[in-house]
Order: sequence, then structure tokens, then C-alpha cells
Amino acid sequence: MESQDAPRGDLLVILRHPPHGTSWLRDGLDAALVAAAFGQSVSLLFQGDGVLALHPGQGSGALGQKGTAATLEMLGMYDIEALFVDADALARLELAADALMLSAEPVDATRTAAMIAAHRLVLVF
Amino acid sequence: MRYALLVQGAPYSQQASHSALRFARAVVARGHTLSSVFFYHDGVYNAARLAAPPQDEPHLPDAWCELHAQHGTMLLVCIASALRRGLLDEREAARHGKSGHSLEPPFELTGLGQLIDLGQACDRLVTFSP
Amino acid sequence: MILHILNRAPGTSLVYRDALAGMGPEDRLLLIEDGVLGALPAQVRHFTPVLDRLFALREDLAARGLEGHCDATVQVVDVDGFVELTEEADKTVSWF
Repeated sequence: MESQDAPRGDLLVILRHPPHGTSWLRDGLDAALVAAAFGQSVSLLFQGDGVLALHPGQGSGALGQKGTAATLEMLGMYDIEALFVDADALARLELAADALMLSAEPVDATRTAAMIAAHRLVLVF
Repeated sequence: MRYALLVQGAPYSQQASHSALRFARAVVARGHTLSSVFFYHDGVYNAARLAAPPQDEPHLPDAWCELHAQHGTMLLVCIASALRRGLLDEREAARHGKSGHSLEPPFELTGLGQLIDLGQACDRLVTFSP
Repeated sequence: MILHILNRAPGTSLVYRDALAGMGPEDRLLLIEDGVLGALPAQVRHFTPVLDRLFALREDLAARGLEGHCDATVQVVDVDGFVELTEEADKTVSWF
């Protein structure tokens, strides 16, 4: 296993839902921000359709429904810099890793499993 | 071992609440401590004081209260998820000028930081999502 | 060893693929709620990489009339066994 060189940390938040359709993405990001504010080392993995959270050009939704792009832009202020993105999902959606609104490291299944093993707590949203 | 649960499914819409309660009872039956249940997302509806399910169906909010009474399990409700969904205790109801409250002890409104604390303080945190 | 918990049927959600991708070589997978549909002989092929580490919750099978209809490779546990699996694991990850 590559778990030795996998990114380690207190909390891994896996974000599997795209923005706007549900509040899962926002709720997952909130959990990550609070953990970081508590001084924990937090990693984020955008997986499946959750990779759309990183797509540039997002706006607000119907009736001014707040999106999540503004929250994502604040991650650095919370010292959340360990961002990972599901490489298969990017390919499936024909998105380029270098065209995302934040820089995130593409990961494959082996690395995902190693990351899950290397964090003390894993929450899926 | 010390256990905590994270419940994210609404009662009567999804099986998550039933699954979590069943698991909670099995945890204490095996001699573990169930220190807290944290309700997040639509899971906060488990705390609805006014829930009135048909008599031949399990009363989930009451079942959580029973767990608290028998085992001292804390019932923690994410305040941000709850207020948005109309679940307010007396204090929040007064603060927002509402005429009634919809959540009461042993359910407690609390911040998301409590969930992070549980993840750190407990040996196991098991999530039940919709 | 990590216990992964899956509550979706492979016929309705592709989340099982991400759950499998997230599993290490020793990790176990427990099917609960609608996830138990994956334990049927016609569905279990979706879980080929982890067949030796695949569990399904008896109560959820029974409620759906599926107890006794599982593939022989699936290890059926009751809720007490579910707790035991969490005791044996370092942590749990719930996929939905």
C-alpha cells in the first residue's frame, strides 16, 4: 500500500454531490470549515459529480439560493489546502483538472483508498 | 468503547433514523457507551417536538428521548440545519419572535463543532445517511 | 481494517463504485437498507473485488423478504454483528 505517502490528517471530507441540487455539498464544506477552525488538519476529496463544485463560472440559484463557490474561495483562509479530485469523474464529465476554479490534485482509486486509511475520521457528503 | 452516531436522514422519509436507532440499541446492549447522537442535514427532523405519527408506527422522536432517559445519550441537533428547517427551542423561538417552539430537551441545539469534538473524543463515529 | 457501510442498491446508484474504489485490501463492506439488494445472486457480481469481505444486514434482508435469497458468498450478520464489525474496524465510512 502507498499509505506511507498518502496525505494524512484528522479529517477527510468526501464531497460527492454537485452544487445547487441539494445542500449536501454546503453541509460537507461547513463540516470541513468548522473542523479547520478547531485546528484540525482537513483534506477535501471531490468525488463523482461532486467534482462540479470546482467548475468555474458558478452563480446563485433560483430565488438567490446561495451557491458554494464563495465558500470554496475561503478554504485557504481556513488553512484547508489539501484538495483532491477524483480523476475518473473528471474524465467522465470531460473536465480538465487544470481548468478548475481551485487547484486540486487528481487522484485514482489506489490513492483514494490510501487517503481514507490515513485520516482519523472520514465523512462522506 | 465510546460510540457516537451521526444521523442525516429525516424520519419517516428514509430508513436512516430507524437504522440508527436499531444500531444505537445494539451498541448499548453490547455494553458500550453511546455518548451522543448528532443530528445534521434533514436528520434534525428527528427532534420535532410536534411529530404525531399514526399509533401503529414507531414514534421516532420519543424513541430517541427514551434512549436519552435510559442511557444518558446526548441528543445534539445542529443549530444551523435546525433553524432553517423550523426546529427552534424556546430560546430561539423567542429570539426570532415565533409564537411556539418545536424542539425541546432532551434535544439540544448546538454547533457543528460538537460533531468534530465527537469525532475526536469517541472511539467510533458511525454515520446513518438517507 | 475499515468497515465501509453502503445503503444504496447497485441498480439505483453508482455510489457502490466509489465505495469499492475507497476500499483497502483488508477493508470490509457491509450492505444495509436498500444496499442489501446487492447481495442477491443476480447483483453480487458488482462486488466481485470484495466478495470475501462482503456482509449484509439480516434484518434489512428479512424486512424485504430476501433472507435466504442471498448469494452464498455473502456473510449475513444481524445488528449485533453489525456492532461487532464496527468494534473490529479502526473506523467506519458510510457511503450513500
